[in-house]
Amino acid sequence: MSRFNLALRLLWRDSRSGELTILILALIIAVTSSTAIALFSDRLQRTMVNQAAEFLAADLVIDCSTSIAADWLTKATQFGLLQAQTVEFPSVLIEHDELLLSAIKAVSEHYPLRGLLKATRTEDYMSETTLHAGPERGSAWVEKRILSALKLKIGDSLIVGEKPLTISHVLTYEPDKKANFYSFSPRVMINEADLAATHSIQPGSHAHYFFQFSGEPQAILDFKQWLKPQLNPSQHLLDIHEDRPELGAALLRAERYLGLSSILVILISGVAIAMATRRYTERHFNATALLRCLGCQQQEILWLYSSQFVVLGALASALGCVLGWFAQEVLFQLLKDLLPQQLVSPSFGAVLFGFTIGIVVLLAFAMPPLLRLKQVSPLRVLRRDLEPLPASAWLVYSLSIGVIGLLIWRYTADIKMTTTILGVGLSVLLMLWLLTYGLLKLLRKWLPSMNLTWRFALQSLLRNTSTTISQILAFGLTLAAMTLSFTVRTDLIDNWQQQLPDNAPNHFALNIFPEQQAAYQSDLQQHAIKGSQFYPVVRGRLVEINHLPVQQFVSKDSQGENATHRELSLTWTKELPEENKIVAGTWWSHEQAANFVSIEKKLAESLKIKLGDLLSFTIGSQPVNATVSSIRELRWDTMKPNFYMIFSPGTLDAYPSVYITSFYLPDTQKDLLNSLVKKYPSTTILEVDLILKQVKTLLMQLTQAINYLLYFALMAGFTVLFAAVYATLDNRIYEGALMRTFGANRSFLRTTQWLEFGMLGFISGVFAVIVSEATTFFLYTHWMAMDYHFSLWIVITIPLIGALFVGAAGFLGVRQVLNKPPLRVLREL
Amino acid sequence: MQSQIKQTLNAIILTEDLGKAVVTSEGTLHILSSIDLIINPGESIAIIGESGSGKSTLISLLAGLDTPSSGSIKLKGKSLTEMNEDGRAALRNELIGFVFQSFQLLQGLTALENVMLPLELRGDKNAKAVATALLNRVGLGQRLSHTPKQLSGGEQQRVALARAFATKPAILFADEPTGNLDSKTGETIINLLFELNRENQTTLILVTHDPILAARCQRTIRIDAGRIV
Ligand SMILES: Nc1ncnc2c1ncn2[C@@H]1O[C@H](COP(=O)(O)OP(=O)(O)O)[C@@H](O)[C@H]1O
Ligand SMILES: [Mg+2]
Repeated sequence: MSRFNLALRLLWRDSRSGELTILILALIIAVTSSTAIALFSDRLQRTMVNQAAEFLAADLVIDCSTSIAADWLTKATQFGLLQAQTVEFPSVLIEHDELLLSAIKAVSEHYPLRGLLKATRTEDYMSETTLHAGPERGSAWVEKRILSALKLKIGDSLIVGEKPLTISHVLTYEPDKKANFYSFSPRVMINEADLAATHSIQPGSHAHYFFQFSGEPQAILDFKQWLKPQLNPSQHLLDIHEDRPELGAALLRAERYLGLSSILVILISGVAIAMATRRYTERHFNATALLRCLGCQQQEILWLYSSQFVVLGALASALGCVLGWFAQEVLFQLLKDLLPQQLVSPSFGAVLFGFTIGIVVLLAFAMPPLLRLKQVSPLRVLRRDLEPLPASAWLVYSLSIGVIGLLIWRYTADIKMTTTILGVGLSVLLMLWLLTYGLLKLLRKWLPSMNLTWRFALQSLLRNTSTTISQILAFGLTLAAMTLSFTVRTDLIDNWQQQLPDNAPNHFALNIFPEQQAAYQSDLQQHAIKGSQFYPVVRGRLVEINHLPVQQFVSKDSQGENATHRELSLTWTKELPEENKIVAGTWWSHEQAANFVSIEKKLAESLKIKLGDLLSFTIGSQPVNATVSSIRELRWDTMKPNFYMIFSPGTLDAYPSVYITSFYLPDTQKDLLNSLVKKYPSTTILEVDLILKQVKTLLMQLTQAINYLLYFALMAGFTVLFAAVYATLDNRIYEGALMRTFGANRSFLRTTQWLEFGMLGFISGVFAVIVSEATTFFLYTHWMAMDYHFSLWIVITIPLIGALFVGAAGFLGVRQVLNKPPLRVLREL
Repeated sequence: MQSQIKQTLNAIILTEDLGKAVVTSEGTLHILSSIDLIINPGESIAIIGESGSGKSTLISLLAGLDTPSSGSIKLKGKSLTEMNEDGRAALRNELIGFVFQSFQLLQGLTALENVMLPLELRGDKNAKAVATALLNRVGLGQRLSHTPKQLSGGEQQRVALARAFATKPAILFADEPTGNLDSKTGETIINLLFELNRENQTTLILVTHDPILAARCQRTIRIDAGRIV
């Protein structure tokens, strides 16, 4: 106990004398930023998942063609889940001698469990209100197109099946509207209580039941796990990641970006802590030698200091948590207008995470230098120059790698991935270590031929090669983390913007007969509507690969399995469609014979199809063979018709085909749809504009959130960089003072300081570019499913930014000392 | 009177009513007060006094390492107190050499590089030759490329001596140069110091506790509680 008191007293003295300032600062920054980011990303993530859950109107949905066992619902209640049901079916409406195929949706109480409905009671869109529940008994909400097509207005009666209902609202937004084949026809939403009276649902009729659940994430997960084994093939579980791939991918990437940022900020802070502790340690050699002289044993020394650090860590972490909480709150305030209205409250778990991270990072990064104190020889009391061995590199790296590995594992939940990242990271570090070492050696050779200022600046760096290398590694890592944060965010946003440009097609037209195609195209052109190419479609099934049944090639749940269990849309075209890229083989030239096929890359990989393989299809009952002449890469997330299989022109001429196209129709020209539907009654129009709007809103919110997160990471990075530079200044201040006693003037010292730190920053910047580009490449190709682009801009700017900031930090740190009388400097050290 | 004026004009170090006070939490602490000194070129002076009496403070003021709170200092007729820090730095490089109790060598530099340092700072093209010669002179000709860590205390102080004399300073300040050394090594260092001093006709200001050492100087100044007694 008395030893603990001694520890506390020493801690108190040290903190009073300013010895601990930098360490405390680094720690607070670390904890503040990691808490803020943990809180922010946790909260944002949950908010976004909630937001995304809106697209299902629930957290979990069972989609099936009949009702489900009653005990499933009981079980859901036991798990504490809230429930709702919707039934969707097509029905023909007849009013005023007009006929219209509509999509009826009967909704139960509690629908929608997530998200809101929007509707108006008048026919203009101005008076739109948000509503928490669907139509009351006896009334129907309809999409505007129903009113115009059937010559109805609000308040009129509408007969659904056999049940007359009153139209009370125009439905303008439905959270779980899907781009499946039900949504081509306009919606009529009714109350579930009226369903029976419509007599529309008979055994064998084409109805879809959606059983919707919402609740605590854990309860949802438990229920899902309980449910999964009991589902039969006609029952599907929908959740946001599985059901809405275009959103799922965006969310997944955003989540991964948030995770990545957390790791990076923690890494940055760890570096600062390591450097600050190193300084602290070096400043305590004398005191430790004295304690040893006075009879303290090595273990006691270790205990004395580590208990101080634990106390320090706990205090700084607690403060950091509070600050982090505020920072996160401020961040959300800033983002208020962009984020969904209903924010999830911050979780205590994330605060605890921040706190734990603080302690763990402190111990992992501070322990190795601290352990040196144990080795301080009591003889140092007499011989000041006796220094303990430097911290064991093995210990330093294995501890920090352990922590980083743990964090990566936490975010990827994938051991193989974690070990690969660590392995790659380590090899890169080792390589760079050697490279830096070589570079310094080379510089030493050039040294004699340089002028005085440069020579002095360089000599400072070369004087202690191992310190310089570890500084370059530290600054380089910090800069790399910042660069990475920046590049990934920029590419992510670019990627999203490419995915959905402003006039991305928002309508699909299907089932256009060949004889209608020309007229349809000219109708679109007449109204200046931009559309994609018209593609002929023949439905067919892939049955054999090189005369072997395709079932032999598929693995369960793969893309291949999906594609071989149903009919594919087969098309042909002379020119390679936009946004398709040949990755193997060649696109056909005009004179090439028929019976070639170009296959999409992912499907080819899944089915192990290579160039030159012979694929056999059945169309109707007819067999068709084609040789694979090219493999294409394409983007599924653009709103354009995309095809797994494109045949060479002529191959499919013998089979009946219909055309498909997509086009962009602005809100203002929406009326055109009715005339198109009227003129070409057999065609189907798929309206995806609402869905697109949802996706765009979500992506915009994610973009903003990620931007703020980036600013935060950058701020933390720069602060830490400054703190870290300060932590390395002692020796330079001392040397500067000594040089001044020999008559070096301040401008000389100033220039050499700038040069020295500038060079340090520059080399670190080069280092950072290599690390971050390698990491980006790895992340994109293995983790985020994005294309890697080499950026010359980054390669040029980062070393300059490094030189500027490290240079400035070093300069500022030494500047104050330049103006003090040199004696005072010598005395203070 | 006449002789005193002449003496004043000739003096290499001249102080008038020099004082140093620092503000501490317990009020103003007067470390030095009313120091009047006239030191002639080539003189060797011992400054003695108890620990804490202000000896180090005095020589750091004389060398322009610190600024006085009152009074004035002239080195070779130039008023230190009227110069700014860079002016003082230039003057130090021109006139002054130092030997410290704790050697104060730059750890990362070799013995040779340490000795070259002040020469290089004044842009001396012959730095290497001069430094090598001096290290030979102090008996370390074989240790040129050794760093301070590879040298014993006595050897380090010899490097410091070589460094101090490298610029052929007019004045050499030595603050307890043997304080960190055993008596035998200390004696060698002192002999070397006096030899070099004689060879270079340097003015020597030596701070010491040791009366025997003080006796080897031409004059002794005793400081007690910040005043000359
Ligand atoms: N910057 C300072 N602040 C407070 N006290 C100081 C300062 N510099 C020196 N002193 C005090 O002035 C006195 C003289 O110091 P010093 O000149 O080092 O003595 P000496 O070299 O004779 O042992 C000591 O008591 C010392 O503590
Ligand atoms: Mg002293």
